Amino acid sequence: MKKNTFYLLAGCIALVLLTLFWYSVEINSPLLIEIAFVLGFILVYILRRMVTDLIEDERSRKITEKAALRTFQVFWVIFCAFSIGAVMQILRVPTFPRQHEPMRPPTEIFPPEIMPPKIMGYVQLWLLCLMIFLYVGFRFYYARKYGDWEIDEE
Amino acid sequence: MKNKIKVFRAMHDMTQEDLAQAIGVTRQTILAIEKGKYVPSLDLAFKIARHFNVNIEEVFTYEPEVQAVNMD
Repeated sequence: MKKNTFYLLAGCIALVLLTLFWYSVEINSPLLIEIAFVLGFILVYILRRMVTDLIEDERSRKITEKAALRTFQVFWVIFCAFSIGAVMQILRVPTFPRQHEPMRPPTEIFPPEIMPPKIMGYVQLWLLCLMIFLYVGFRFYYARKYGDWEIDEE
Repeated sequence: MKNKIKVFRAMHDMTQEDLAQAIGVTRQTILAIEKGKYVPSLDLAFKIARHFNVNIEEVFTYEPEVQAVNMD
């Protein structure tokens, strides 16, 4: 299979997955898109192995490795910092008034304001999206560094 | 790391695409090596040298990075 045929097929698979995503939203069935997503990527990996043209070599593998490593180094710090804060909020237990705090009547006691777990989940999802942008950014940076857009005089 | 790939290509009348196909890399990799943007692995360096039937030292020359040295 030629390289361009592979890219076309990968694009078609992406379109099918997008359609299935909205269809699963329509019928309220997350299992459908979850299974389709896994199957879609297995299919992409199989198609990739059938490509006879050269897609990657040691330079492109190095670019991928470096971009992935830098993304991981930045992402895990941001993700863990937020997650630690979120866990701290979940573990917070209302305590009795301490000695230096004046006793308040029961009507003035409010429950502690914590971030709802649903919002925590959404923020973690946004952080995952950020990881994709980080990876793309680092990939561009290292591709440029290792001569991807060098001008050829030939 | 300096190299004379361009010179050897010219001597063998090869394009970057020809050399890339012969040693199993992309043309962009050959271009990046020639421009000094990418230092090839030892394996790839040997492949390039063997393709031109020369020793690796004839194609690649090691030049350590110049560091600031205190002359005092």
